[in-house]
Amino acid sequence: MTSNYLEIRNLSKVFNTEHENVTAVDSINLEIKGDEFFTMLGPSGCGKTTTIRMIAGLESVTLGNILFNGQDFTKFSTFQRNIGMVFQSYALFPHLNVFENVAYGLHIRKILKTKIRERVTHILDLLNMSELASRLPPDLSGGQQQRVAIARALVYDPGMLLLDEPLANLDAKLRVQMREEIHRIQKELGIMSIYVTHDQEEAMAVSDRLAVFNMGKLIQVGTPHEVYTRPESLFVSGFIGQANFFPAHIVNRNGSGVRVALTNGCELVLTSLVALEDKEAESVESGFDGVVMVRPERHTLGTSAIGSLNGTVRRIMFLGNYTRYMVNCPDSRHEVFVDSPRPISGIEEGGKASIGIYEPDAILFHKKNC
Amino acid sequence: MAYANKEHGGKLVRKFDWLPYFSGILTIFVLFSFLLYPISKSVILSFVKSGEPMDLANFTLFNFENFFQSISYQKAFIHSLVVSLSVTIIATLLALPAAFAISRISMPFRNILLALSVIPLISPPFIGAYSWVILLGKSGIATHYIQSWLGIEIPSIYGPSGIILALSLSYYPYVLLIVQGSLAATDPNIEECAFVMGSKRWRVLRTITFPLVMPSIAAGAILVFIKALGNFGVPAILGGEYYVLPTMIYFQVHGYFNLNGASAIAMVNVLLTLLAILILTRLNKGRSHVTVTGGTRRSVQIKGRGARIFANTYCWGLLLIALTPHLIVFCSSFAERWAGTLFPTKYGLANYFRILPEVQTPFTNSIILASLATVICVVFGTLVAYTSVRRRFFGKWALDLTIMLPFVLPGIVTGVAYLTTFNSGLIVLTGTSAILVLAYFVRRIAYIFRTVSAAIGQVDNKLEEASAICGATWGWTMRKITVPLVSPGIIAGGILVFATLISEMSVTILLYSARWKTMSIAIYEYVIADELLDASAMGSIAIAATLLLVFLSSKIIGKSMAEMFR
Repeated sequence: MTSNYLEIRNLSKVFNTEHENVTAVDSINLEIKGDEFFTMLGPSGCGKTTTIRMIAGLESVTLGNILFNGQDFTKFSTFQRNIGMVFQSYALFPHLNVFENVAYGLHIRKILKTKIRERVTHILDLLNMSELASRLPPDLSGGQQQRVAIARALVYDPGMLLLDEPLANLDAKLRVQMREEIHRIQKELGIMSIYVTHDQEEAMAVSDRLAVFNMGKLIQVGTPHEVYTRPESLFVSGFIGQANFFPAHIVNRNGSGVRVALTNGCELVLTSLVALEDKEAESVESGFDGVVMVRPERHTLGTSAIGSLNGTVRRIMFLGNYTRYMVNCPDSRHEVFVDSPRPISGIEEGGKASIGIYEPDAILFHKKNC
Repeated sequence: MAYANKEHGGKLVRKFDWLPYFSGILTIFVLFSFLLYPISKSVILSFVKSGEPMDLANFTLFNFENFFQSISYQKAFIHSLVVSLSVTIIATLLALPAAFAISRISMPFRNILLALSVIPLISPPFIGAYSWVILLGKSGIATHYIQSWLGIEIPSIYGPSGIILALSLSYYPYVLLIVQGSLAATDPNIEECAFVMGSKRWRVLRTITFPLVMPSIAAGAILVFIKALGNFGVPAILGGEYYVLPTMIYFQVHGYFNLNGASAIAMVNVLLTLLAILILTRLNKGRSHVTVTGGTRRSVQIKGRGARIFANTYCWGLLLIALTPHLIVFCSSFAERWAGTLFPTKYGLANYFRILPEVQTPFTNSIILASLATVICVVFGTLVAYTSVRRRFFGKWALDLTIMLPFVLPGIVTGVAYLTTFNSGLIVLTGTSAILVLAYFVRRIAYIFRTVSAAIGQVDNKLEEASAICGATWGWTMRKITVPLVSPGIIAGGILVFATLISEMSVTILLYSARWKTMSIAIYEYVIADELLDASAMGSIAIAATLLLVFLSSKIIGKSMAEMFR
């Protein structure tokens, strides 16, 4: 268990290209403590990789501070920061065998030969790689290379572990297996870890907390559960999981709740309210006060017209662990997705269906002045 | 030296990593003082009258006026243009059918053909030049027979026709190798597409194939032009009274020691070269077609009998003619008696034994000078290549340009620059081995730069980042990761530099001293003294050593010999 403490203050990065200046990271503030597994999540080009590379010292900082245990990290070169990092391409040294790759950081630290052997053997055991110690990286499978990269990053007891899309090059099954492995070792060694990915399922599965990035800005930080169930913006609700949006008018406020009307006149009383930032407020259709967001698996679907919205089923997609119904509703601007753990009898492609909204599961994103 | 970032009670320790800064500053210093400074000083000197101090007050166009008023200078200028243009046109026309045949017509042994085509490029043209004298000179072996059997009066080998002949046959492989490489790399789908749309073969060739390889043809042709314009050895041996710019420079330096005048001629020579490059880039503007594919599929091979007969006859015939000088050099080196007959009347090793006492010093000198220059080239060429590939900084284009500058400058121009700079002033190097070593270094650093740049480009930058993450300083990363991974490129480049320096002629002729006479000078002296058989023996040694080394280098890097010259 460590008491390490990473603090990022107003961190910004501007790339100067020939034609323009691109702000890749825009005033980010973060705190990561102890043995936390922290994930930076976002679409490509959102600034998450730039941020982790600035923490590693591989990218210079335009503005702001990175403090590690109170010391200003930006004053140290990469090689002085005592960190471990796993790259997407693994970046194993192709001319060194597995043992030499893992021992590399220990040799630099001028550690006794016997001690090096001991520590490399231990970490390779931990990753079930002992038998392959004398292999060269090109002779290893993707998953094995991944383990060597992790071993190399951890063997010299770094202050933190950075993982930059480490699973992107693995096939789907191995990806699930390796992310569990990374999680297990991280908890076993109790090392602060920062993980970068664009895969929201991966992020939810491994993280203690995660940060959602978009266009260089930090949008929301929280536990996976918080971010999924209480998104603070339209972007996050759309990026993490699926979401259906319905434009709505505010009828009145009563106590803690707000009574809203959907386009077909159906009224709901909602208690989860989020005021929209100006930029996202612009995306709300004119004439409406906001949008109601509901997750597809929180809807009910039935044949009798007792739900909030009625429509025609365009397509039924059987996906194994659940079935997705895509419903055309004249009263919604978009096709509505409804996920059900088992097929619902009586619903057919081309047939009528009624969508139900359970009020406690819906969130109202409203314009600020409403 | 401490590399560690040991933790002292959890605190990180800062340590200044001075090595990259030291290497950077040293590299800049070396490039500036031995490359940029001599060349710019030579430029300035051309604006000052001979004997006057370098001063703004003494700025004059005298040397250039002198140049353009003097009949002999004007003639040399015209001669250079005529020779270079003729060589460019002839070499290109000779090479194109061969390039097409090798890449598109089904031919056996095409790899051997390509490998042998490298020989004219790596052996110094002046060695080939005097074998044309042996063959077609006034008392040449072929001259006599052609005249008595065919009754044709062949033009004198001395003068423009001889120079153009020797240079064309020496340089056509540049066009051949570049265009053949480009033809072989063209996406076969493009031509097939044209066939599918109903085009006949000739039409496809005219409308698709030829335009696609046009940039390569231009690149090859311009390389030939630059090389022909800067060549000293061939016009020195075959020129006679027919002066071109490089021989004129030599004449100015050795005849009158008029460095200012020589600088002015050198400037004109350089301007012509730059003009050629400018025209090339203009021609190629918007013409760079991306047709190279990663696929291994080769383009459709023409299998017709007539085409195959033509291809084999033409390619092997051309190669045989181009290699004739080398064969003659090789044969005549074993000839003990050879007078007035088609073939020597007695063979043996007498020539070799005779030159043995005289060859040792120049041979050792060449090896020492070439080795030293190669080591310096490798160190700084690698550093500059690393910087250029890995670092982004303001004025990077200037660095790339500086490195490639001597590549396009005629050797004799570099020679003049070195003479003018290190003859007097702060550092005096004239007559020392250092001036040759440094001039060689400047002449060849581009070779290392190119091969190592390519090699570093192949190595993922993430490997160096990973090394730094593990705690390695820049120097440790270079030593343990980067250099080991690019070592094949470095070694191959080094051998190539070494091999081509053994018989370097253009700068050596201006900078050598009695103590540091090299192989090429020794051969040149034999030729001048008309001791052609001795010259052949020594030339054979030089060519054999060069060929062996280039072969070795191609094996190390795992490329074919032809690929190394593309």
